[in-house]
Amino acid sequence: MTDSRPTPDGSRLPPRADLTATLLDRENLSADAQLLRFESKTPLQILPGQFTMVRVPGGGLLRRPYSFCDHLENGAFTLLVKEVGVGTRALMKLPLGGTVSSLGPLGTTFDPPPSDRTPVIVAGGVGIAPFVLFCRRLAESGRRGIVLLGGRRRPDLYLWDTFERFGMDVRVASEDGSAGRRGYVTALLDAALADAGRPILYSCGPTAMLVKVAELATAAGVPHQVSIERRMGCGMGCCLGCVVWARPASGGPEEYLRSCTEGPVFDAGTIDWDQDPHPL
Amino acid sequence: MTVERAAPVDMRVDIAGLRLATPLIAASGTFGYGDEYQSVVDYDCIGAISVKGLYLEPRKGCPPPRIWETPSGMLNAIGLQEVGIRRFLAEKLPAVRALGKVVIANICGSSLDEYGELSRILDQAEGVSAIEVNISCPNVAEGGIEFGCDPDMAARATEVVRRGTRLPVIPKLSPSASDMAAMARRVAEAGADAVSLINTIPAMAVDVETRRPRLANVVGGLSGPAIRPIAVRMVWEVAQGSRLPVIGMGGIASADDALEFLLAGAGAVQIGTMNFVDPGVWRRTYDGLGAYCRRHGVAALRELTGAMLPAGAKE
Repeated sequence: MTDSRPTPDGSRLPPRADLTATLLDRENLSADAQLLRFESKTPLQILPGQFTMVRVPGGGLLRRPYSFCDHLENGAFTLLVKEVGVGTRALMKLPLGGTVSSLGPLGTTFDPPPSDRTPVIVAGGVGIAPFVLFCRRLAESGRRGIVLLGGRRRPDLYLWDTFERFGMDVRVASEDGSAGRRGYVTALLDAALADAGRPILYSCGPTAMLVKVAELATAAGVPHQVSIERRMGCGMGCCLGCVVWARPASGGPEEYLRSCTEGPVFDAGTIDWDQDPHPL
Repeated sequence: MTVERAAPVDMRVDIAGLRLATPLIAASGTFGYGDEYQSVVDYDCIGAISVKGLYLEPRKGCPPPRIWETPSGMLNAIGLQEVGIRRFLAEKLPAVRALGKVVIANICGSSLDEYGELSRILDQAEGVSAIEVNISCPNVAEGGIEFGCDPDMAARATEVVRRGTRLPVIPKLSPSASDMAAMARRVAEAGADAVSLINTIPAMAVDVETRRPRLANVVGGLSGPAIRPIAVRMVWEVAQGSRLPVIGMGGIASADDALEFLLAGAGAVQIGTMNFVDPGVWRRTYDGLGAYCRRHGVAALRELTGAMLPAGAKE
């Protein structure tokens, strides 16, 4: 069963479904991160930025949200998973051929960059996940962007080569200096914005990073979309567990908006970072 | 070739004056305003939908973090974030009515007057079939559980709702009440047509690394399979100790779980937390109930209510 829900701007989001997906391939990216390739018999339509709620045997009671990392042909997709707790651990130990239940695609999407703006992507750690599909779509339309990738150490700069293969201008920073510039990825931002000329920003990663990018974007007057990560109960807009303090896209006063339904992708300016306790 | 077909099981139940096509009701607070799960839940299996708790005015709810997973359960302190009765009637009710399901409005009040006012408004609303009275939310400062722990307060809340409406009135009981059956008898005298139970159990969890509570509200409500045996016991106590029809809930994840409640005395059951986990729970539970009835030669599911045998009864 599927549907096609209208979005606030009148466009349609892809149909969502609860389907069984089989783990076909596991790539160990670092000691505690994996790229998992799944396939379902049901063809999927996924837009960049959307996520899935995954239920895996032994992975706790509730489903866990994961950004769709890449969408290959038909029902094949990848997830980038870093070990955090019981849910991620079970997924990382799932044997090849094992199955999960995947409820998706869910949530809002990154808008494609306007033709007169150069996309600048800022990602920290596993925050890079949703940008693989985003950059695949960019590359398919013959466009380039700047990808700023940050992490603690070199192994945490996931999928660096994938973005280079898509023809993106990849620039990296690591906190220990083992790759690229030593320090936070946000230190790369000024130069990237200058090089982009007329940029549009997209970011996903630790909240401290998102706040910093949002500050710089506001100061520079650059449009900025952000994908936020929150603990979720249902992913369907019903449990109200994943809220963020923000202004609705339709205007009006700030209120708690669901990161699963009004998000996970927001215009960064609509989130009240001071008032939001940004927990995880 | 001959095809043998089992006679269809009659899945209909009557409870609190409601005629339900199935005994399965979506629990308030886990199913939004009713239409959110379209395309992933099989709505044919749903007998009624109890919508998210309503106040007169919109409420912003508790700050996050609001949820935390515990063994076989979930802690929440949402704090009844909701749109208020007017927006519910104007925007949400038409959408859920369009699904053709029996709609139960769940109401909360921070005062007796608010319960009364809400019941009068809902009495006039086209398409609301019953009122579930939340006297048991652990996560709000006023009202909620303070009505649910004190039989006098629970009876007074029930009474003002009863005076405000001709609709069936279903107080939702808190497991924090010291004597569930006594509570049920009091709300029955005050005019309740049925009771639903249990709401979440007040509970908490601590992050030992940061030495902070897992929920911003510190205390939340525990739900899910973790609380099921407690809920079954309470449903049984209320069924034994009062004449009021009982709607049972607490971590129902399968037909067997639902059957435990029915056999212990429930006339219908609600599915709550498992909506989050597995939207397929509706179809599986519905089909499983039918299969059980066929296997046990039960023609109508309602015959199972209270049909538990005494311990040690001979086969």
